[in-house]
Amino acid sequence: MKSKLKILRVMENWTQEQLAEKLGVSRQTIIAIESSKYMPSLNLAFAIAKLFKSKIEDIFIYEEENNENY
Amino acid sequence: MKEKRHIKWKRMVLIFVTVIVILGWINGIYILAGVGILVGGCFWMVTKIKNGKIDEREKSIREQATKTAYSIFAPTIGIGSFLLLLFSSGSLPTVKERFYYLQSLGVIFAYLTLFLIILYLIAYHFLNKKYGGEDEE
Repeated sequence: MKSKLKILRVMENWTQEQLAEKLGVSRQTIIAIESSKYMPSLNLAFAIAKLFKSKIEDIFIYEEENNENY
Repeated sequence: MKEKRHIKWKRMVLIFVTVIVILGWINGIYILAGVGILVGGCFWMVTKIKNGKIDEREKSIREQATKTAYSIFAPTIGIGSFLLLLFSSGSLPTVKERFYYLQSLGVIFAYLTLFLIILYLIAYHFLNKKYGGEDEE
C-alpha cells in the first residue's frame, strides 16, 4: 500500500510532529506511513481522510502484490 | 494497551527480572544474575515509551513481537522436551544414572509445551467469540 500522505501534509504546510499531534499518534507512526512501512488501521485511515477532507482511496493506493498481511 | 497498563506490565517484568537476579546472586549462580541484568537492561531500553505515546503502530509492533516470541518459544520447548525424553528413555543404564535429571527436565518441558497449547486454545476460543465467530445470526 502506498500513500500520498507526505504530499498532502506538505501541501498543508504541516510538520510530521504537527500532523501526529492532530491525529493523536506518534511522529514515528507518521514517518512509517509516509514511507509505506506501516499500514494504518481503518480507524486511523478514516481519521486521516477526514483531516484532509478526502476519500481514503485518494490517499492510500492499494497494491495487491505487496499485501503480506492478508 | 493503555499507558497505565503498559507501565504496570513493564514494572512486573522488571520486578521478576530483579528477583531472578537476586536469587541468582544469593544462590551463587552468577551467570544467571549477569544474564538477568543484561536482559533487564535491554528490556528497559527497548520498551521505553517515546514521547509518552502508545499508538496503534506501537500496539501492532508489540502484538507481532509477542507472536514471534511465542512462535519461537513453543516449538523450542516442544522439540527440547521430545529430544530430552528420547535421549533419557533410549540411553544405556549408566548414562541414565549419570544424566538422571534429563528425564525430569524433559517431562517439565513437555508439560510446559502442553500448557502453552492449552493457553493458545483458550485464547483462540475467547477471541473467536469476541470477534463474532459464533454461528448465531
